[in-house]
Amino acid sequence: MVRWIFSNLVFGTLALASFPASFAVAHEDHHMECNETGMNAMHADIQAMDDGEAKTTALKEMQIAEDMMAKKDMKACATHMHNAMEATEK
Amino acid sequence: MSDLAASRMGMRWLIVTLAAGALLIAVVAAGLVYMGSFDVAADKPHSQPVFWLMDTVRERSVAVRAAGIAVPGDLADAKRIASGAAQYDEMCSLCHLAPGMKRTEISRGLYPRAPELRRKSELTPAEQFWVVKHGLKMTGMPAWGVTHDDELLWDVVAFLRKLPDLTAEQYQTLVKSAPKSHDEMMHEMMMDDGHGHDDQPKQ
Repeated sequence: MVRWIFSNLVFGTLALASFPASFAVAHEDHHMECNETGMNAMHADIQAMDDGEAKTTALKEMQIAEDMMAKKDMKACATHMHNAMEATEK
Repeated sequence: MSDLAASRMGMRWLIVTLAAGALLIAVVAAGLVYMGSFDVAADKPHSQPVFWLMDTVRERSVAVRAAGIAVPGDLADAKRIASGAAQYDEMCSLCHLAPGMKRTEISRGLYPRAPELRRKSELTPAEQFWVVKHGLKMTGMPAWGVTHDDELLWDVVAFLRKLPDLTAEQYQTLVKSAPKSHDEMMHEMMMDDGHGHDDQPKQ
């Protein structure tokens, strides 16, 4: 019984201690991932942009990213999504 | 059949056809609503035509309602701008960001996206005041007029006119130079009018 309480206390403490660290890591980097959620988020960002060169670039990069995703080239997809994100932040 | 009778018959058919068409559209629309066909998820953007429609409705609604608002002549006043900066930093920057500020989690998740106000706005000062005071339905923009009086909101507008010209350092300096903190301003406002603004002209 004492061992059971002790082990629960240890694991409980470890879990609580690691929570802020994992939370911080998860929020450290906001890079877009090549998946449907990331694609939708980028499209929402682009919709909010004023018409112009940056928006055209972002749309073009997203089109390439979508093509790469269809070809299952996730690395290239992520690169083009990143390019699109940079264009939205100009 | 006389021409008059034929014309009446034609008119009656037209009315019946239009009524039946309208009824059919209403039934289909009700069915779509009931079946939950419209996806309200904020992580799925509207199609371009829907986005355009919502955007245009919002733009026109604000323009028409802001048309009669009298803009104070002292929006360039340094004290007003500094006061607006403190309020902006407290109330707006989380969603609308600020010079030198990285995008926040809330700014990434809002739909439609809250505009980054450090970029030049096409809204007039009267339109900005109206939006800040009344908020915008289905955007996440709150009606600050519920808790703030018009003077404080004009301070925010004064700051918004200045915001696109500011660097990150200038922004921070301006926020720190505010004559009072946001909480002090709110307290003073409450003391001044017992949080009633009913005696002020509605804008």
